[in-house]
Amino acid sequence: MKRFTSLIVAGLVGLTLVSGTAFAGREIKLLMEAVPDTFIIKDLLPEFEKETGIKVKFEIVNYAQMHAKLLPQLISSEGSYDAIVVDNYWAGEFPAAGWLVPLDEYVEKTPAIDISAYLPSMLDMVGYWRGKLYMLPFYNYAMSLIYRTDMMEDPELQAEYQAQYGEPLSISRSVEDYVKLCKFMTREYKGKKIYGSSMQGLKPDPIVMEWSNYLFSLGGDYYNEKWHPIINNEAGVKAVKLYGENIAKGAPPGSPGYGFDEAYHMVAEGNAFSYITYNWMLPELNDVEKSKVAGKVDIEPMPGGIGLNGGWGWAIPNSSPDKEAAWKFISWVESFPIAKRRALIGGSPTRYDVFTSYDVVKKYPWYPKVMWIVGTAKPVPEFLYSTQMIEVVGRELSLAVGGKDPQAAMDDATKELEELAKRAGLYVK
Amino acid sequence: MQGEISIQSWKKYRRQIGYTFITPALIVLLSFILYPLLFAFIMSFSTYTFVHPQFDRFVGLKNYTSSFHDKYFWNSLLVTFKFSALVVPLEFCLGLTIALFLNREIKFKNIFYAIVIIPLVMSPVAVGLIWRMFLHPELGIANYLLSMIKLPPVNWLGSPKVAFFTVIMVDIWHQVSFMILLLLSGLMSLPKEPFEAATVDGATRIQQFVYITLPLLEPVIAVALLIRTIFAFRTFDLIYVMTRGGPGVSTDVFSYYIYRATFMGLNLAEASALSYILLIIVMVFVMFLFRIIRRAQ
Repeated sequence: MKRFTSLIVAGLVGLTLVSGTAFAGREIKLLMEAVPDTFIIKDLLPEFEKETGIKVKFEIVNYAQMHAKLLPQLISSEGSYDAIVVDNYWAGEFPAAGWLVPLDEYVEKTPAIDISAYLPSMLDMVGYWRGKLYMLPFYNYAMSLIYRTDMMEDPELQAEYQAQYGEPLSISRSVEDYVKLCKFMTREYKGKKIYGSSMQGLKPDPIVMEWSNYLFSLGGDYYNEKWHPIINNEAGVKAVKLYGENIAKGAPPGSPGYGFDEAYHMVAEGNAFSYITYNWMLPELNDVEKSKVAGKVDIEPMPGGIGLNGGWGWAIPNSSPDKEAAWKFISWVESFPIAKRRALIGGSPTRYDVFTSYDVVKKYPWYPKVMWIVGTAKPVPEFLYSTQMIEVVGRELSLAVGGKDPQAAMDDATKELEELAKRAGLYVK
Repeated sequence: MQGEISIQSWKKYRRQIGYTFITPALIVLLSFILYPLLFAFIMSFSTYTFVHPQFDRFVGLKNYTSSFHDKYFWNSLLVTFKFSALVVPLEFCLGLTIALFLNREIKFKNIFYAIVIIPLVMSPVAVGLIWRMFLHPELGIANYLLSMIKLPPVNWLGSPKVAFFTVIMVDIWHQVSFMILLLLSGLMSLPKEPFEAATVDGATRIQQFVYITLPLLEPVIAVALLIRTIFAFRTFDLIYVMTRGGPGVSTDVFSYYIYRATFMGLNLAEASALSYILLIIVMVFVMFLFRIIRRAQ
């Protein structure tokens, strides 16, 4: 018996030495969203587990479930998740509530992590909060314009556009031109009904995300520097009017009820000319197994120049049962070699060195353009009540699409946004 | 004397045994039902939030009254009342019709049972997602089927006027099975003698239904209506998956309003107060319904 025990002890010591780490035998759990980037990492996990001895468990759920699942874990003294991924909608809420561990000291101790490699727009959005680093950027979903090249290059459509508007058919450079183009492209085309834009009018986040592109590109914003809401100014109301006009005349009739999936399928089935969406949709739509328009779509920045920035960051909650092992995982997954491999498999980069890597650009020639899109895009305001702000604006936009006066809708939203800024302690008189 | 003592101690022993058996169930009941109810009740008078989870300030009825000035609070109540008032009677009528049909000697009864049970075992989230696909105005099967019989396409979830009735239609599809099973079990347990006597006396099938079936089925009908009313007032999953309360606020039910106060407003105290408002409304409504049924009986 004694000999047997000695053998087991020797075996365990040997195993620890082989794995070369003090983490052997530990297990960490992460709550992840069911998106391509998650599954790319999941496939690489055996390498991390072999290297460190840490077993990683992913709990993968849909986006709609994540926030409600996270909150009870974040407020408890010891939660279920060692590390989490944070959408930029929550990137102000979680640090403001004191739920996340600052990562500055961890980064200082870890040479594999080079903060300067990240795009500033990503670090501002899902990295720093009030001067402290709480997250490391995970992936970006900056929004852009994806459109059908076959329709743009069609000589008949070009001639018709020239005759109708007295100018050549080209990619729109302003929101007004984009709405005009979408109305023009809504037609019977090669025996099929085509809509100018596949739009997602479901409230709250799908409509707010899409509309924010109109708002930012028209020079508008949610709040000014004193945290006074300004969405009811000229640019805000114009954004609502143009959005409403496009959804009524340039988009499928069901658009006010479309979420991401419905809008995506309209494009993938070849029923829409364009789609203001996440930049990582381009390879999906160019995949012959998933899309009927593969090889006929390309990407451009949002007409007007400023799209909505979006992204996720890695974070360690204060309630994490094993912060050291969690950081070990984050520093591995965000190290340059793994970040580059993720990008080559199809992950959405957040770093200069990955975006500009020879191998990555060779495989994805449009990535320099995407880097520009991510670099210039702008996120929604990040503060304690971002999710409620999105709910309020989403409701008013949905009402405006249904017939409410755009000015009245934005005035109503402004009152509630002011209340939220005051409640968060940000409103400056 | 000795015998009496032993009988008494036997009774006492039996009582103790009874308490021993019931204690685990009571502990579970207290922990999972009473404790959260009490916790939420105390919370509803405080400033407890996700950001500041403390009971350090008593605010009286403020959390109960703060939503009264919000027009969307009243809208969500109205939508919930309209929703419940439509789905419960419609599901009852449809459920009773199908239950009466299944209560007869028909072929392939087991296949019908299986079809009826399928929606009941599906989660509301799955139901919502499947129906969203069916009802896609351009790519869904619903409008395709309409086009085959030369009917125009319907904007099922994109029009504020239609979306409310679409959600009602899907809820009926999902929940009518519950009505059918409950009413069918009631119909099957009815005694045969009154029907035989009525047949001998020359009563028609309609007369038998009105004067025998319905009165005998009343207790089951009462239970079915009460349970469905309570569930209808609490409807959340289907709305969350299908419309998120939209377009506009056309399907914004009260449970979704509470959800927003909790997970978007981060205000657990206000959400608890709103939940108690819903509880009170449901209880009042159920008591009112119960009284009507008792009076009718």
